[in-house]
Amino acid sequence: MSKPRIAIFDFACCEGCQLQIVNLEEELLDLIGAVDVVEWREAMSEQSHEYDIAIVEGSITRPEDEDRVEIIRSRAKILIALGACATIGGVNKLKNNFDLDDVKECVYGDDAKMPHLDTAMTKAVDEVVEVDYKVHGCPIDRKEFTYIVRCLLLGKKPEIPEWPVCVECKAKGNPCLWEYGQVCLGPIIRAGCGARCPSSGFRCFGCRGYVDEPNVNAAKDVIEKYGLSIEDLKGKMILFGSTQGPTNE
Amino acid sequence: MAVKKITKAALTEWVGELVSKERVFGVQSKGDKFDFGPLTSAQDLRLDYDVTLQPPKKYFLPPVETLLTFEVSAGYESQYSDKPFVLIGVHPYDMIAINQIDELFKQGYYDTHYMTRRSNATIITCDVVNASENVFASQMKTATVKDGFDILLTDIGDSYIAEAATEKGEALLSKAETADASKDDLDKREKIQKDNEKNLSKHQLKCEVAELPGLLENAYNHPVWEEKAATCFACGSCNQVCPTCYCFNVQDDVKWDMKTGQRCRAWDGCMLDGFAMVAGGHDFRKKRADRFRHRLYRKAKYVPEKIGGQIACVGCGRCVSACLPDIANPVNVYNRLFDDIKTK
Repeated sequence: MSKPRIAIFDFACCEGCQLQIVNLEEELLDLIGAVDVVEWREAMSEQSHEYDIAIVEGSITRPEDEDRVEIIRSRAKILIALGACATIGGVNKLKNNFDLDDVKECVYGDDAKMPHLDTAMTKAVDEVVEVDYKVHGCPIDRKEFTYIVRCLLLGKKPEIPEWPVCVECKAKGNPCLWEYGQVCLGPIIRAGCGARCPSSGFRCFGCRGYVDEPNVNAAKDVIEKYGLSIEDLKGKMILFGSTQGPTNE
Repeated sequence: MAVKKITKAALTEWVGELVSKERVFGVQSKGDKFDFGPLTSAQDLRLDYDVTLQPPKKYFLPPVETLLTFEVSAGYESQYSDKPFVLIGVHPYDMIAINQIDELFKQGYYDTHYMTRRSNATIITCDVVNASENVFASQMKTATVKDGFDILLTDIGDSYIAEAATEKGEALLSKAETADASKDDLDKREKIQKDNEKNLSKHQLKCEVAELPGLLENAYNHPVWEEKAATCFACGSCNQVCPTCYCFNVQDDVKWDMKTGQRCRAWDGCMLDGFAMVAGGHDFRKKRADRFRHRLYRKAKYVPEKIGGQIACVGCGRCVSACLPDIANPVNVYNRLFDDIKTK
């Protein structure tokens, strides 16, 4: 069996998730030994139009990016969205809360009208093309990424948690941060990070996106129980969850 | 085996000796709460704790463990954790939970991974000194414990009463400086235990615990399941902190050579979406209300039917504290059923 050809592409993002792949250290050699990397701007100069698996990092923020990701999709057998910007739109979706002209003017000032600085509403990759697998997180978890790649090499479906961060947080024996006055998003955010932030004493910021069925009614009850307002909760949800289902409810 | 008395200073010295020679896990403070963890100094041991964040089951059934390593078409090798250890500070209700899981993991398929850890453990229990905010062990008849432990400690003020229940316990206790407990000491212990059997009752069950399996006979279609589950996050916090929950999931991970790998098991939880998902995408308990009902049926009906005796809720109250929307309290649900079903 020939090695699958993999290409890694970036869109609007900080490229930190690709950096996590570069940071695989000794496992990086295992990875590039098991696959044939044909394009990866951050790590090599070669380019290719022929690949089996496309790994797409970043969110889609311009019409020309939509065209580009559609071409990538048409060339790839499997498309993986890499990191929060790609899987849920992430922090780039904060922009969607405002008027686009205001946003451009705020960022670019006098140059806001320059054609190359044009921008559109931020989209997650699956709002433009079909995505086969998602590697969640900001940044991604390196172990989860390599697990997913190995599953694909075996032709096996990777198991990505559909349960909330609380599962991993409680398994670690952490006290609940809600008891200490933090508005932690753990109960509605997808696990898989090992409850990294709550384990360090910081609330869950929601970088892995909402679970498949976040219970908004329950969240409202909890907010009331702790004497907070819905706005207190939404204020925390918009960082990674702007203009996404539960944030709007 | 004679019941002994050990001064607090002698206990500290004894534990100090223990931690210098053995692998010891004990209850320590964690912020303003308590938890079991590796004990490196006798001074850190807090036998006056109210409740630990996690029950001690993690020492027998870890959150994640490797069951075996394999090589495709070459076979597999089971992996065991066979290092002896001492566990200090298990409360009676948690000991009863361990006794119950012991029984469940012996029945049918004998779980060698669990049992290896279990047989390597020396367990020192202690009667409760301070009641936690949600404990209801008295209601579940688990405030005191009669068996399963190697040594039982009871704080009677300036000293502990120490009773070894096994040869292992006796051998360990013989290393401490003790005196025989007097009739007066034993009376003090009995009073503490009698008080605990009454006072660890922050939530009051309206019926006897023995009536619960019968109560659930007629409760399958009761509206309480839908009502409570309406605000359930399906976050499994109640499962994760429960001393009697033992459900797990098993997954294989293959290394980069695509030949060798390991089979791991990790805690699962019946409240999680997808808990009852099986091959082909079928989910036989798809609704949260169905899973909510399952959790409480399992506690008070399925487990006692399977192994007899004590229901699978020991009244530690951890789920009550862990549940953000405040729906997990078994006492509230059972009382509601009692009111509705018994008064009909």
